[in-house]
Amino acid sequence: MPKVRIKLLTIAVTGALLLALGSCAESSTPTDEEGGGSTEGPIAVGAVLDITGAGASLGVPERKTVEMLAKQINDSGGINGRQINLIIEDNQSTEDAAARAASKLLQTDKVSLLLGASRTGPSLAMRPIAEQAKIPMISFAANEKIVHDSTWVFKTAQNDNVVIEKIIDDMQKKGYKTIAIARDASGFGEGVAETFTELGKDAGIKVVAVEKFAPDASDFTAQMVNIRNADADANVIWGIPPAASLAQVAYRRLDIKAPVYQSHGIGNQVFLDSAGKSADGLLAPLGRLLVVDQLPADDPQRDVISGFVSDYKKAYNESPSTFAGHSFDGFTIGMNALKEAGTDPTKLREAIEGVKDWPGVSGVFTMTPENHSGLTKDALVMVTVQDGKWKLVPGQGE
Amino acid sequence: MSDLLQLLFSGLAQGSIYGLVAIGFVAVFSVREIVNLAQGEYSALAGLSAISAVAAGVPLLLAILLVVPLVIGVSVIIERVCIEPVRRMTPLVSIILTLGVSTALKAAMLLIWGPQARGLPPFPGRDLVVAGISVRSQELWIIGIAVLVAVVVIWAYEHTLLGKAMRACAEQPVAARLVGISPRMATMIAFGIAGLVGAVAGVIGSPIYFSSWDYGLGLGLKGFVAATLGGLISLRVALFGGVVLGILENLVAGYIDSGYRDAVAFLVLLLVLLIRPQGLMLKASGARV
Amino acid sequence: MRSEGILRFYLPFALFAVILVVFPLVASINLVNIGVYALIYALAAIGLSLLMGLAGQVSLGQAAFFAVGAYTHAILVTKYAVPGVLAALAAVLAAMLVALLVGLPLLRLRGHFLALATLGLGIIVTVVARELEITGGTSGIFGVPKPVINGRTYDTPSEFFWLLSPVILIALLLARNLVRSRTGRALGAVNDSEVAAECLGVNTFALRLRVFVLAAGYAGLAGVFYAYWLAVVSPEAAGFELSVSLLLMVILGGLGTVWGAITGSVIVQGLDEGMRALIPKIIPGATGEVQLLGFGIVLVLLIILLPGGLAQLWGMAKSHLHDRLAARRSAAEMAEPDQSAGVDDKVGPEPGAPAAAGSKPSLDGVLDHALIPERGSTVLRIRGLTKRYGGVVAVDDVDLDAQAGEILALIGPNGAGKTTCFNMITGVLVPTAGTIEIRGTRVEGRRPHIIAQLGATRTFQNLQTFASTTVLGNVAVARHLRSRAGLVRGMLSLARREERDIEHGARAAVAAMGLQDDADRPVKDLSFGRQRQVEVARALAMSPMLLLLDEPMAGLSGPERDELSALLRQTREAGITVVLVEHDVDAVMALADRVAVLDDGQLIAVGPPEEVRQDEAVIAAYLGTDDDAEDVLRQAAEEVRG
Repeated sequence: MPKVRIKLLTIAVTGALLLALGSCAESSTPTDEEGGGSTEGPIAVGAVLDITGAGASLGVPERKTVEMLAKQINDSGGINGRQINLIIEDNQSTEDAAARAASKLLQTDKVSLLLGASRTGPSLAMRPIAEQAKIPMISFAANEKIVHDSTWVFKTAQNDNVVIEKIIDDMQKKGYKTIAIARDASGFGEGVAETFTELGKDAGIKVVAVEKFAPDASDFTAQMVNIRNADADANVIWGIPPAASLAQVAYRRLDIKAPVYQSHGIGNQVFLDSAGKSADGLLAPLGRLLVVDQLPADDPQRDVISGFVSDYKKAYNESPSTFAGHSFDGFTIGMNALKEAGTDPTKLREAIEGVKDWPGVSGVFTMTPENHSGLTKDALVMVTVQDGKWKLVPGQGE
Repeated sequence: MSDLLQLLFSGLAQGSIYGLVAIGFVAVFSVREIVNLAQGEYSALAGLSAISAVAAGVPLLLAILLVVPLVIGVSVIIERVCIEPVRRMTPLVSIILTLGVSTALKAAMLLIWGPQARGLPPFPGRDLVVAGISVRSQELWIIGIAVLVAVVVIWAYEHTLLGKAMRACAEQPVAARLVGISPRMATMIAFGIAGLVGAVAGVIGSPIYFSSWDYGLGLGLKGFVAATLGGLISLRVALFGGVVLGILENLVAGYIDSGYRDAVAFLVLLLVLLIRPQGLMLKASGARV
Repeated sequence: MRSEGILRFYLPFALFAVILVVFPLVASINLVNIGVYALIYALAAIGLSLLMGLAGQVSLGQAAFFAVGAYTHAILVTKYAVPGVLAALAAVLAAMLVALLVGLPLLRLRGHFLALATLGLGIIVTVVARELEITGGTSGIFGVPKPVINGRTYDTPSEFFWLLSPVILIALLLARNLVRSRTGRALGAVNDSEVAAECLGVNTFALRLRVFVLAAGYAGLAGVFYAYWLAVVSPEAAGFELSVSLLLMVILGGLGTVWGAITGSVIVQGLDEGMRALIPKIIPGATGEVQLLGFGIVLVLLIILLPGGLAQLWGMAKSHLHDRLAARRSAAEMAEPDQSAGVDDKVGPEPGAPAAAGSKPSLDGVLDHALIPERGSTVLRIRGLTKRYGGVVAVDDVDLDAQAGEILALIGPNGAGKTTCFNMITGVLVPTAGTIEIRGTRVEGRRPHIIAQLGATRTFQNLQTFASTTVLGNVAVARHLRSRAGLVRGMLSLARREERDIEHGARAAVAAMGLQDDADRPVKDLSFGRQRQVEVARALAMSPMLLLLDEPMAGLSGPERDELSALLRQTREAGITVVLVEHDVDAVMALADRVAVLDDGQLIAVGPPEEVRQDEAVIAAYLGTDDDAEDVLRQAAEEVRG
């Protein structure tokens, strides 16, 4: 073996070993014996977010929000004099990485409060881990299953049920009888068709076709062809960008005449940017965040939302999405509870369950031991898109 | 009927991309018996580079003209740095090696461009509706350019001395050397061609299929499946196989369940490999290319 | 030697056991957490290492079996409340069953195609897991409870680590035993030269399939622990990324080395965590699976610089150290020579094996006389044997018989079809037409291992020694058919006695060939001629009744040729039929009882040497064959141009 090779080899192997060693040193340092019930020193708070992968358009603004809020709190002296040590983990939009990250935060970082994940699937994966560790967790995702019968898990996004109710109300008003659904094939869209069928019964609305798409799909022709064939009175696209926007584009391209509803999964600029002109005219039940400037002055959420929007714009020079709003609500509820009850898990949980009539960005929250999601359909308003901008559908929101 | 046509047409566009990528696989495999698992990455790299160039104000056409040679260069450099030094190239070694290259390329793209999927602006033209089927102008561009590039590459292989010598390399290295092509040279040229078709596929597909750091794996694998239809030897069958695969995928998504779209390619792969490993549409000892 | 071997065999296990026990006590909880993942993946990596290193099969779908195990376990535990241990067992069996079903068709593929087919398999499993109701769709199955054994819940990293430790130790031990067993030896041989192994009676397909299934079992077991530890199983468990990192672990540690799989797994996990922490620091804003960068680069560097992985490095370090020690010792012992031989030369002939060099080679202890047919009976009967490639006829309608206890030589100019004949007789090629009978059994078109079972074996014109092992190791493979321990007995190390018999037989064959001084040297260090002798010894060790030798004299020195001739005569005396292809016409004429001459695929003469020597057709054939190599080349070049 020539000398150069041996040298290269030595360098490569040494490098790899150093890196491996470095990792050990690296990962062992932040392990303080904090967390759990201790009453001094920084409070460890963990967040598991969909920063990369299919949920990135949700997770990235959420990370920005919690980072901004943690900094605000720490700059103003922390919670009862204790700094917040916020540890953010990326779950790559996968369930197993979410579970892995949650275990790590609970076991090695000993966080007092667990935040996330951004989407339903990863949140569901984290739930049993938080339950087992008996540490409160606040998810930013929508599906009701996340908090169903849960002791330790809360969430701040509007329940799917609530969103679907809102859509069905609107459809009923307009007299639609049949609908076709194209839904996300991942956790976000799971059970949606069933819920529509169930809630639609009373309103006389029937689901006539259901199509699925992968969250990272790029061509929606096949699904939309089938939706077009179903020839329903109205159609629902249930997903998050970029899939939701690509589906919207395909919907318009195939020239489907029936009105289209989207879910609350599209509440960000990314959707508008990627859907472009195709978005015009769609209907979606969304939080008030996106139309804050169109809200009446006496709206209880107006001040909270405006404050958040201006902070966010100042920090990142862009508008926050509704997902940023979910993380604002989750983080703030968590911080308020920590301030009130300290880091004892049980007291902390009780403090969160005691939230009442608290105006957040996504709605006015009232949690109870039985209701861990805290929002009703009043948290949503029907929004449409006009010339690439969110528009409040008039005659509601009061 | 219009549904079927719609699905066929979409599949045709998608399949043209697969076909181009498949040609890249065949180009390399027929010379050096390497399945280049980094083939798909070339497309992702080309798409993302072009997007950056356009974002920096470079006109679309110029961006494309810049990106294609860039990716060819990357492919050739990969060959020089990673493939050439290896003396005993067994299937195991070649697979692990190109897998390593592919993984490193992917991660590098993730570092440079971040995780978000993005698309190039569509090429000029207007979408139209023909006989009830929606035709995106970009799809016409895809089919047109893909077929053009594929035909040029295939023609070059079949009708130029260089192309014939390249084909001879694998079987008759001495003969190839006599007409002035060493296996080393041929391997390098093959990687260049792989870069070319990969880059073109990435750029023309980007406006509708988007480009992202992890786009290459799936694309590459489907291209490979298309290539196996031609026994990894025939360029024509590879192109054709790509188109068939694209259409088949769309039909499955349309008529069965879109969830199974990605499984189609691999079921086809397994079937082809098990039934006729030497390629579906080749006679046992028939003509190559 | 044996007791020392046992100590050397078990010492690493004892050391490793100590490390496993101590590690959670001294390491930070974060490190233990990484350690848990390292152990889980190591289980899957051990299986993959066996598959790739021993059986030479690249699998890019190991994660598929991992996922099958994880899902089966999770479903049984959460939905059907099956007790953990039972569910784990079922999960491992399920993974193995899937491997069996998939392997039956898939393993007929080779090289690239197999690798990519396994990759496709991984993707199909992902898609199916995502689409099926029972696997919980994209979100998968969550809430797998932590294992409870004797009322104790293993839910902290340290406890889980300790729970895993005995499992991994046993898994390692079993795998290590397998490598050293009859099955391991055969697999190594298949990996080195499939055709030679088959001609010695190794049923390569069955072996491959078994290892494939075994590797899946390891992966399934890893999946079980994964499901336990993570509490979630989602389609990503079958993902390509996992298969890649398992592959990296195996390559990094060194293919086929069981310890390498563990080392590789630990390093890859460390690298994973390290890169995740490090890269965002170097490149701000980097998110996601940036550790892949490191994986990719390490893979490429490894293959280019260190294809044997850390095991190769370890070997290099060891031999370096060894050389140094030896140098120092020899310097110190200049005064009293002949004492330093201890280390290497201990491995003299064992009792029972025939004596050393110098003495007349003997076939006692090699051949099994019970298998040898009655002298003069027809052993090989060929009728109308024909092989066509397209329009070219390589072998044309050949009839030939060989009797027990004769030496039949097959001669003819280059390209006359001699080796093609051999290939058809031994099952390497399928004839286009004609029949071949070995002692009355029709064998044309059968696989080589079947023909070997009937007592026919061969050597090869282009050497087919098993390069990864020693001379003795090569010859021991030939005892495959003369022993029977299977996979399970091998893993449990239950075939000690049989192993001893194999060694005795192999040593006897080595000694018969006069190779005893080189018995424990790697075969690839031997000269070309010596390697040919190894092949002959190997063929003899199978105790054949029909021995086909393809140019056994090539590359041998004069004395060596004489020795070989003597040995072959002895073989004939023992009643064995020897058919040989040879270029050295003088040697052939001196040795053979009968000579058959092939020209252009046709048999032009058969008879006693002196008769054939006078045959006009034979003379003509030998004169008219000044093949002009340049002509051929020129023609080929023309073909390309045209």
